[in-house]
Amino acid sequence: MEQLLQHLLNGLLLGATYSLLGIGLTLVFGLMNVVNFAHGEFYTLGAYAVFAALVGASVSFFVAIPLAIAVGAALGALCERVLLRPLRDESIDTVMLVMIGLWIAMQNAELLGWGGVAKSVGTPFSTQPVVLGHVSVSPLRIFVFVVSAAFIVGAHLLLARTKLGRAMRATFQDRETAALMGVSIERIHTITFAFGAGLAAAAGALLGPVFLLYPSMGDLASLKAFSVVILGGLGNFAGAALGGIVLGVAEELGAGYVSSGYRDAVGFVIIVAVLLLRPSGLFARAERVG
Amino acid sequence: MRRLGLGALLAVCATAPLWVWNPYHLHTLIMAGIFAVLALSLNLLLGYTGQLSLGHAAFFGIGAYATGLLTVKLEWSPWIGLLAATALPALAGWVIGRLALKLRGAYFVLLTISFAGVISLVSVNWMDLTNGPLGLPGVPPVELAVPGLPALSLRTKGAYYYLVLATVVASYLFCLALIRSRIGRALVALRENETLAVSVGIDGTHYLVLAAVISAGMAGLGGGLYAHYTRFVSPEVFLFSYTVTMVIMVVAGGKGTLTGPIVGAVIFTVLPEALRELTSWQWQMLLYGILLIAVLFFMPRGIVPTLEARWRRP
Amino acid sequence: MNRVITSMALLVLGLVTALPALAQTGEPIKIGVIQPLSGPVAASGNYVRMGTEIARDWINARGGVLGRQVQLLIEDNKSDPKEAATAAEKLIVRDKVPVIMGAWGSSMTLAAMPKLEEYGVPMVVETSSAASITKRGNPWVFRISPPSEMEALGLEKYLKDFGIKQADFLAVNTDWGRGAATAFGDLLKRSGAAVGATEFMDQAATDMNAQITKIKAGTSDTLFLTTGVEQITLVLKQAQEQRLARKVITTGGSSSPSQLIKQAGPAAEGTYHILFFTPWFPEAMPDGKLAKTFVDEWNKRGHPFEGLTEGFRGHDGIMTAADAIKLAGKPDPKAVRDALWKVNIMGVNGPIRFEKDGPAGKESGQSKPSIFIVQIRDGKIALPTFAAKK
Repeated sequence: MEQLLQHLLNGLLLGATYSLLGIGLTLVFGLMNVVNFAHGEFYTLGAYAVFAALVGASVSFFVAIPLAIAVGAALGALCERVLLRPLRDESIDTVMLVMIGLWIAMQNAELLGWGGVAKSVGTPFSTQPVVLGHVSVSPLRIFVFVVSAAFIVGAHLLLARTKLGRAMRATFQDRETAALMGVSIERIHTITFAFGAGLAAAAGALLGPVFLLYPSMGDLASLKAFSVVILGGLGNFAGAALGGIVLGVAEELGAGYVSSGYRDAVGFVIIVAVLLLRPSGLFARAERVG
Repeated sequence: MRRLGLGALLAVCATAPLWVWNPYHLHTLIMAGIFAVLALSLNLLLGYTGQLSLGHAAFFGIGAYATGLLTVKLEWSPWIGLLAATALPALAGWVIGRLALKLRGAYFVLLTISFAGVISLVSVNWMDLTNGPLGLPGVPPVELAVPGLPALSLRTKGAYYYLVLATVVASYLFCLALIRSRIGRALVALRENETLAVSVGIDGTHYLVLAAVISAGMAGLGGGLYAHYTRFVSPEVFLFSYTVTMVIMVVAGGKGTLTGPIVGAVIFTVLPEALRELTSWQWQMLLYGILLIAVLFFMPRGIVPTLEARWRRP
Repeated sequence: MNRVITSMALLVLGLVTALPALAQTGEPIKIGVIQPLSGPVAASGNYVRMGTEIARDWINARGGVLGRQVQLLIEDNKSDPKEAATAAEKLIVRDKVPVIMGAWGSSMTLAAMPKLEEYGVPMVVETSSAASITKRGNPWVFRISPPSEMEALGLEKYLKDFGIKQADFLAVNTDWGRGAATAFGDLLKRSGAAVGATEFMDQAATDMNAQITKIKAGTSDTLFLTTGVEQITLVLKQAQEQRLARKVITTGGSSSPSQLIKQAGPAAEGTYHILFFTPWFPEAMPDGKLAKTFVDEWNKRGHPFEGLTEGFRGHDGIMTAADAIKLAGKPDPKAVRDALWKVNIMGVNGPIRFEKDGPAGKESGQSKPSIFIVQIRDGKIALPTFAAKK
């Protein structure tokens, strides 16, 4: 029984990070119709930015994280203006390939800049685990969970309650009408992509210290993000948030009770099942953004 | 004029082993040929039905394993292996096509990614069947046995080059015939406007499944050729990077054309090798990514269509 | 006018005939190196590369081989077997190297092996651990690293001291991890101990909590861990988080304990590591002086200390190749291959001499490297208490 509890706890913690990865991607995918293969690279960027801030500039851990997010968002905005805007009217696969090119370029720039050796980020948290009955978890992971949840809630509020959020949703529902209503389409596109990139960087900034930093860390993150997006339904914010948890728990239980080798297959099988039985996602009745 | 150019090109290709004296360059050409077959297969789906398969490496890999397992474990002839390398992935393509049914666009993409992911994991974990991460070394070379004459082993580079070239030409001609046939016209109609096509009686699902089967079979054949050339099959054939490479070749070369994928295959096989010569390993892939973006920026419809359009201007 | 032309022609003729001779004495001897310099195991590949460069510089400082300088042609196999085969082909055909060292991972080495046979060029295998590499009947393969079975045998004499009754295995899901789990599992069973759970992790995985939870629920007293230092760090941290109280033994020699202390901290306390080089006690190596000099040179170059446990492989590999070329008398692949059987030198790890391994008539060469065990105690590397007495 305690094994099950620990598995569930692991799954919940893991799932929260999957959710954070997923919501950034689903926004960009659902609202801009851009298959962002470089999503994982913004994740990596966030992690390395924290490392650079801590090691290079000796800022506090709690300052490094927002800094990393800002860097991610800024680079996202830049990419949107330079790469995506000129290709706005091209087919989805051309855009997708440009994102693949960006992925390759970014990852190898990291390799060139930081080297292939993995780096670890020190945190102000103790390494002694917190014991809750029969299960235990490290303070750092609790922190990551809480912050991830805060980001998810914050992003939802931004989209649902603020003027900017409304403008974003309007633009992607009907571009012409939104423009007629005074929304600056160009700005919205840039902001949306920067938002997605920023969320990815946030995930990287939070998870980098939990795991290790190495240039190809974004590949796995990308894959999980895509799984979450499908689970929740394209462009479905709440779906991605919940989908992340579902994926995390499913993977944990699959690895724990079925087979550790086939662990990642759980995610794929879920995707296939969802696509075949309920293509609009498990949570289709939840609010759709676009 | 065009015929002359085509003839010259064919002559150059046909005699390549005679004047490409460096076996390493010939190796590059052989790999380019194998990828040309793969690119043509992906192009059938992407260029002519408009559906993108991002799991195409799965068909490539299944083909490689099919022939690898039959020739190594059962010691059957490589020709039967190649046949299986085409048939088994075609079956997988049929399964995908039927499963996908109503899925289009991004959903189809993600289904293919998941399929490839599962197959990849199976190849790593099902040790008894595939030997897992250790792979299948010792895949035999293809042999040409005409009764009465001694068997001619297609082990040498020159001989294998001709086998690959023959396959590329055959694939090209097959695709050409397909595109010009009723099937091809139906595919194009579906790509341009599926609702309209369906309304005039074209069965979307039927044609999508057909395209998936042919596309998968062709990719599998490429996998079989790869297995007998490199003589080693391991789970790395399912690497996502192979799929990415194929997609790059098709889109940058020019999807929806038949020469585009072949041109793309040649360029994007030669380019990494050329980069290997020019710069240190740290810069190779970075330059590759930048070059890719540059090509897409200046020739978004692909190299072949852009060049064709430019030549047509007076 | 005629005289000017004639004398110029003679000059040119003279130069043309003299040049090849000039070029010959200056022309360097090339040794090919194939390593994963990018991808998930790039750190290890780069450490090995650093070791090869030290060997090259030492050899050249001593006058080179056969009076010529040694030049390393380093290729990146991108952790992909296809690239390893292509790199081998390029080195052999374009660069005409008489010998190669590589290719780190077992599947990369296996993929390159057919090329060795196709062109008749020998390769010194410095890291790969799959048994099949020397059992496939490829007479161009010479391995200085131990296959997993040999590594397990190296542990045999310490088994009683460890007092293992039942052990679990957590290994990376590659030929290396699976081979180690099998080899050590067989060792345990032969010695009367039991094997508990055998779990795997994907090479790129970062979250092993599920596997650890499962292992914790079992009754074993020991955990064998086979993977690279990055994943070992993560496993140890996550094991600490879940309060897994087991004896931990890492295998494979890629655990870089110094890096573990830095990155895993207290989570690494008490863990044991099977290595093929102990840079903290170089004097304890078979050739203490050579080992110490190597460590000093490595530090002098500013390379990370953690990399020593793998960097020495590059050094020993190049020393072996260079010695073979010297014994052969000429940089000809077949002569070098025959000479490899006569190599009898002292590397950083210990004596290097090849014995026959594999099917008769087509044997590969396998050396018997020295195997060591260390423990992390009080945040420092120490010899295990029982080993210190031996």
